[in-house]
Parts: sequence; structure tokens; C-alpha cells
Amino acid sequence: MLLFGLDLDYVAVIVLFCVGLYMLVAKSNLLKKLLGLNVMETAVFAFIVTAGMIEGGDPPIMVEGTSAPFASPIPHAMVLTGIVVAVSVTAVALALIVQIHAHFGTIEVDELKELP
Amino acid sequence: MTVPWVEALPWTVVLPLVGAALTPAVAARRPRVAGYWAWGVLLVTTALASGLVVELALRGPFSYALGGWAAPYGIELRFDHFSAWVLPLAALFVVIVPFSWRYLDHVMPAGRLPAFYALLLLNCGGMIGFCVTGDLFNLFVFTEVVALSSYALVAVGGRGLAAYAALKYLFIGAVSSLLMLFAVAQLFVMTGSLNMADVAARLAELGPGVPVMVAFAALAVSFMVKAAMFPVHVWLPDAHAIAPSPVSAVLSGMVVKIGIVGMLRVYQIYYGAGVLELGPFNQALVWLGAISIVMGAFFAVFQDDIKLMLAYSTISNIGYIVLGLGLASPYAVIGASVHVFNHALIKATLFLAAGAIIHQTGYRTLSDLRGVARSMPQTAAAMAVGAVSIVGLPPTAGFVCKWFIALGAFEANQAPFGFALVFGALFIFIYYIRMVNAFYFQQPVHAAVAEARDVPLSMRGPIVLLATLCLILGVLGGIPLSFVEPAVLDLLPAWGP
Repeated sequence: MLLFGLDLDYVAVIVLFCVGLYMLVAKSNLLKKLLGLNVMETAVFAFIVTAGMIEGGDPPIMVEGTSAPFASPIPHAMVLTGIVVAVSVTAVALALIVQIHAHFGTIEVDELKELP
Repeated sequence: MTVPWVEALPWTVVLPLVGAALTPAVAARRPRVAGYWAWGVLLVTTALASGLVVELALRGPFSYALGGWAAPYGIELRFDHFSAWVLPLAALFVVIVPFSWRYLDHVMPAGRLPAFYALLLLNCGGMIGFCVTGDLFNLFVFTEVVALSSYALVAVGGRGLAAYAALKYLFIGAVSSLLMLFAVAQLFVMTGSLNMADVAARLAELGPGVPVMVAFAALAVSFMVKAAMFPVHVWLPDAHAIAPSPVSAVLSGMVVKIGIVGMLRVYQIYYGAGVLELGPFNQALVWLGAISIVMGAFFAVFQDDIKLMLAYSTISNIGYIVLGLGLASPYAVIGASVHVFNHALIKATLFLAAGAIIHQTGYRTLSDLRGVARSMPQTAAAMAVGAVSIVGLPPTAGFVCKWFIALGAFEANQAPFGFALVFGALFIFIYYIRMVNAFYFQQPVHAAVAEARDVPLSMRGPIVLLATLCLILGVLGGIPLSFVEPAVLDLLPAWGP
């Protein structure tokens, strides 16, 4: 199915990416910014996963009764690695936010800016 | 008997990473051991890297197939002339770590030392991996290894403000990494391959198109953010100024170069494939580079904090490198590739010397540090050598590269940018002369500055060594230039042999 000349899943990915980017840029709360970043990551992962899709493809696992064409397994490996990276980024970011909160007592950017 | 240096290639990457993972265990009883352990690991890594560079010089580029799976299916490690950057990179870490031994006593509690050195090793391993990998997805993973350890390194020394600077760095860095992942995925969707050489070959078959351009744009923007080019530099000054000085040296000297090396890799793919007219993009790079030079210098002039001043000067110098890449003539690109290394050396000198001064006096602004050269003559002398070097006066390391980039501007028939470059150097001269003037020719205003003693040998040694290297490379500057020449001529199709 096409929308604006693009496959529907690509449109969904672009919309998701923009929603995340908006949250990251426009929200003042650091946690919400982080959530926005996670939404953007999800958008990119979704884009990669759709790349592995093959019409009528079998899972690429060699057992009896499977036959070509196979779905490409590489995007899955990429997304798994990407998720691990994203989790690490989120963990570091959360640790930093905890430190900021402990030190300044706020995680709102506009309040942090007013601090000396 | 010939040593199979190809086999050493994966070890140069794996050794620092494994060393990092083992650091907390090695230093479990005595945290201080972590520093010596990290130094040992880096020494071995540097030895391996120098073997690789010798092999490269003797026999040309070579590859290693990870796990025995040949390219394009397996992950290929490729060591070419641009990868040779891993040798100075590892060697600079070897110099920076001894400086950290004493420096960190005042920065963080001893209990945090193992974590700090683990992060430093991780950072080094990630950058080495980034430079030698021939696989696009691997490139992304190593970028993230470097980026994550950098975020943590910015925050590791302080609380509050450091964490906030690190978080700002993280948000911008994470978006740029996402763009990179997206571009890698896009290239994979189009070509069905992740190996750089293979992708280039298959792109050439596919021919031009919008998706090819989108992937290129995403990669370019991503690497520009990593390199802190002018419009997207906002994360750099705070993060680099607030980090402990050895970390500032690593971040400013080396981590931003990830963007430049990444750009060179992208060029290798796209020049190789020849599916994209890169002229307009190069022209944009030239402009952005020129603006970066001027704006970085402009902001630096108004800084009183010496580390913030050095951080802005990094933006200027990245501008020089990008300008050189954009000019796309042999002289300019050779100068730019060598400036990647020379700037790292000079910036490490400056940041370590600044760190030593802050460490001994407790002050970090030019107005407080007046007259510091009297009490800390060797460190101040090293700082002055670094300053002369970064301005680009002969006979120092900074001169040769900037000279080559300026020559490249004339070679590419873009003489105005050659003049812009000289003008930028004058601007940079102003703020460094301000620093030298404050250090040498003004009376101390604080008793702590007047009575400060020069730093202990373990900190003074690295600084003096680096400053000496700045001078030596000014005299022997031709060696690295002729070393990268074949790679650059390979890269630029229009000027190639």
C-alpha cells in the first residue's frame, strides 16, 4: 500500500521518527526528552526490521520442511545489537538524570538554565 | 622469520576492550593499580599498532576476516593508510595515562579510579576498532562504544554540572548515531551488503537515485555532529571544558576525529561508487569549514576560562580539517588528514598543560592565572609551544598542515579560502597571544599562583614530551605527509594517478 508515493511502513517510520524528534527538542523535562530519543530509536529499528521482510519467506532456520525463500536474518541481528546499544544509552542517560536531580533538585531544562 | 602482523590486527582492537572489562577485577583490592594496568595494556596495544603500521608501509593495505568468514559475508577488518591513525592515537593514550595518575587524586575519590581507567580503555579500543573496521554496521557499533564511554568520561569527575553537560552531549550524540544507523540500514536495504568495499561496488551497479543521496546526507550530518562542525558544535564547549583535563585531551584531540575518519570512509565508498556528484557537497563543506574557523576563533577570543578557550579552538581546527576535505585537491586533503593527527598532539599538549596549571594553582581563568609562568616555567613553556603550534607558525607541527591546506586552496582554484585560512590563523593568534601575555608578562594577582610549584615528574614528563614532539614534527613534518599521500591520491578520482 502506498502513501505519498512511499510504502506505508516507511511513512509510519518517518512519522514515528518525527514524533520522537519533536519530543527531544520541544519538551523541557529531561525524562521526556529521553523518551523522545527512545521513540526515535524505535523508528529506526522498525525501519531495519521491515527491510528483512520477504513476501512468503520462511524463517531462516534449517529444519525439515523449510524451503527458500528465507527472510533475511541480518536485519534481526542488526536490530538486536541496536537494541543493546539503545539500552546502554538509556541507562547512562538515566544515571546522569539521577545525578542532575540529586544535585540541582530539578530535571526541567528551563529551570536548570536559570541556575548559576 | 616473518611475523604474521595480519594476525595482530584483531588483537589491537580486542586488547583494550578486554583490558577495560578486566580493569575493575584487577584493581579490586587497590584502586590505584588500575592506572598502571591501563598503561600496560595501552603500551602493548601501541606496540602492536606500530607493527601494523610498519607492515602497512612495507606491503601496503591488508585485511583480516573475523572468525574466518571471508568478506563480504563476514566482518572484515581493513588496515589502510587512514587506519594508520591508530598508532598515534594509542601512543597519545600512553602519554596521557601517566599524567592522570597524579592528576586524578584531586578530581575523584580513589574508589572511582578503576571505572575511570576502564572507560578510558574502552574509549581507546572503540576508536581503534572504528578506524580499522571495513564493515558498516561494525562502524556503527564502534561509534557507540566511543560515544558511550565519552559521555561517561565527561561526567565521571564531577557532579551536577558535569552530569548536565554530559547529558546534553548524550542527546545530540545519540541523535547523530541514530542517523548513522539509519544510513547504514538504508545502504543495506539498497545493496544487501554491509562490507564497505562491497557496498561501493554494488552502489556503482545500482546507479544514482534519491535513496543513495539520503543515505549519504544522513551519514554526512551524523559525522559532522561527531566532529562538532559549526552549526552543530553546541555540545562541545561545555562537555570538553568541564571534563577532567586528561579526558578533555582525549575528547578534543581524538574523539571528535571520529567524525573526520568517518567522513573519509564515506568518501571512500562514494568516490569509489561514483554515483553521486559530490561537488556541491564539497563546496558546502568548504564554506562550513571556513565559518567554523572564524566562529570558533571568535568565541574563543571572549573566553576567560582557559579550558573553554581551548575547547572553542577545537572547533576552529576541525574547521581547518573540514575545509581541507572539502577542497578535495591532493594538497588540501593530505594536509587535512595529517592535521587530524597534529591537532590531536597539539591539543593534548595544551589541555594537559592547562590541567597541570589548574591542578597546581586551583584557578582556571586567564585573569586569575596572570604571571603563572614564573612559578611553573616548564609547564608554561610547553603551553607556549602548544600555542605557537596551534596558530601554525613555523617550525611547529601546526604549520605544515595548515600550509598544505592553504596550498590546496590555491590548487583547487579557490584562492579566497586560502586567504580566509590565513586570516583565521591571525584571529587564533590573537587569543593565544593573550594567553601567553597573561602567563609571562603580567604580575600574579593571587598568592597561590605566585607560590605554585611546577607539577611532579609524572605529570611534567608527558607535557614536556608532547611539546617537544610538536617541535620535532614541525621539522620532520614531511614524513606523515608523504605517508598518507598514496591513500589520498587513491581517494580523489579526478586527481588520481
